[in-house]
Amino acid sequence: MNAPISSLSLEQAPPISVPFRFFLSAPLFLLLAALILLVSGPQALMSRWTPELLALTHLVTLGFLSMTMIGALMQMLPVLADSPMPLPRLVAWMVHIPLVAGTAMLASGLFFSQTGMLNAAIFLLAFALGVFLIAGAFSLAASRVRHATTRAIRFAGIALVLTVGLGTALAGTLSGYFHLPMQELVGLHVAWGLPGWVGLLVMGVAYQVVPMFQLTPAYPARLTRWLGGSVFLLLCAWSPMSLTPSLPASWGGSLAAGGVAIGFAVFAGATLYLQTKRRRRIVDVTEQFWRIGMLSLLAAVALWATAQQVTGIAADPRYPIVLGMLFMFGFAVSVVSGMLYKIVPFLVWFHLQGRLPKGSTIPNMKQIISDRTARRQMQAHMATLLLLLGSIAWPVLVYPAALALGFTSCMLWLNLFAATRLYLKFARL
Amino acid sequence: MAGEITLDVRGLEPPEPLVKVLSALETLPPGDRLRMVHNREPFPLYGILQEDGYQYRTEAFADGHVEIIIWR
Repeated sequence: MNAPISSLSLEQAPPISVPFRFFLSAPLFLLLAALILLVSGPQALMSRWTPELLALTHLVTLGFLSMTMIGALMQMLPVLADSPMPLPRLVAWMVHIPLVAGTAMLASGLFFSQTGMLNAAIFLLAFALGVFLIAGAFSLAASRVRHATTRAIRFAGIALVLTVGLGTALAGTLSGYFHLPMQELVGLHVAWGLPGWVGLLVMGVAYQVVPMFQLTPAYPARLTRWLGGSVFLLLCAWSPMSLTPSLPASWGGSLAAGGVAIGFAVFAGATLYLQTKRRRRIVDVTEQFWRIGMLSLLAAVALWATAQQVTGIAADPRYPIVLGMLFMFGFAVSVVSGMLYKIVPFLVWFHLQGRLPKGSTIPNMKQIISDRTARRQMQAHMATLLLLLGSIAWPVLVYPAALALGFTSCMLWLNLFAATRLYLKFARL
Repeated sequence: MAGEITLDVRGLEPPEPLVKVLSALETLPPGDRLRMVHNREPFPLYGILQEDGYQYRTEAFADGHVEIIIWR
């Protein structure tokens, strides 16, 4: 006779509170970004160096993007790499609280130009990200899985180490501890942070989650085998050349940067192509978020490439702002939001399955976050992106853009909170 | 003679593959084997199988799909 199968093992997966604390915090930082934009108005977008924009950028990259990506990685490493993070509860506490506090203080320090606050923020952020990186390194070192995804996650981790190191050096320079060339350091910090940490991680995770959740064919192995590694090596090659003023170095640097851009264009093109080959015809919200994300990524690459040819564009102070909006909000915030609509319902289902006695009725994925509310949030997100881009041409649009950003982040938070409440309701039964 | 049941979960959205294999195992006649056809290695399943006293063997194919043979 068959012994009954026990409920799903929760040994492998961290408690649901581990990723959810990160997911539920993230939209609040987007809301904070919306408030800063609303209060500052068109002045925030005068140049990439305004205190308002520096604060905004870090609220998005650390507060929203890194927050969700770290929460998701703590959850997904056991699934993708067959290797859980050590001491997940403790690590979650030691990462989440200093990340929240450090991001808030960094944004305030940049906004109010307070070096004391900046230094405290750097200490907290270096601690939070350091703990995460060490725990992640342990998990990956113990994993016997070697595929394109775990490789890309390793590269993304190294990129994060460099981003944090460069960020620390920048804060030290702002506070007067070091005297380093700001422009060059910022260039490196941005390159390792955006195409490096954010770009490589999205790429690596996409190899698994796009076929898994969007039911597309797999990415071709001949692409996944070299793409992440090439982008990483090109960033490595570009870095020293960006610091050298000689002509050959500048040519080499442009060549390497062009290679990185081509790498992301290939990734975006392949993802859009795979989406056309989906096995299911029903369009879902995650697929639409990813489409917005990939089109924004292509637009960012096209804008960057045009600016390399047409000198007037690169000199325009609005150019880096548009590029940042396309990459950070259009690409990264879109794909991360799209993934949340798959990961969060899946985790609620998975953990309820493990907790409830056999035979209990568990809500299905579609009941956990309704398609309708998710779709509304996606539409608000799309409107926000268009308004943000529009505000570059018509600065007065910055106000509706800020309101739309506030609205879409509240909607996202409410959708995630509804899933959490449903979990808590069933878990108490 | 031991029989073998094949369960193809390719093209299903999570968590369906896991739900399907667990319910197939519940009704698997003693001595029979279940062959699960999947497009990736289902790591979370392995932990559950070990805990429940199943044995399994995974075969990877050149086209990227994997087959997991599960028996007790």
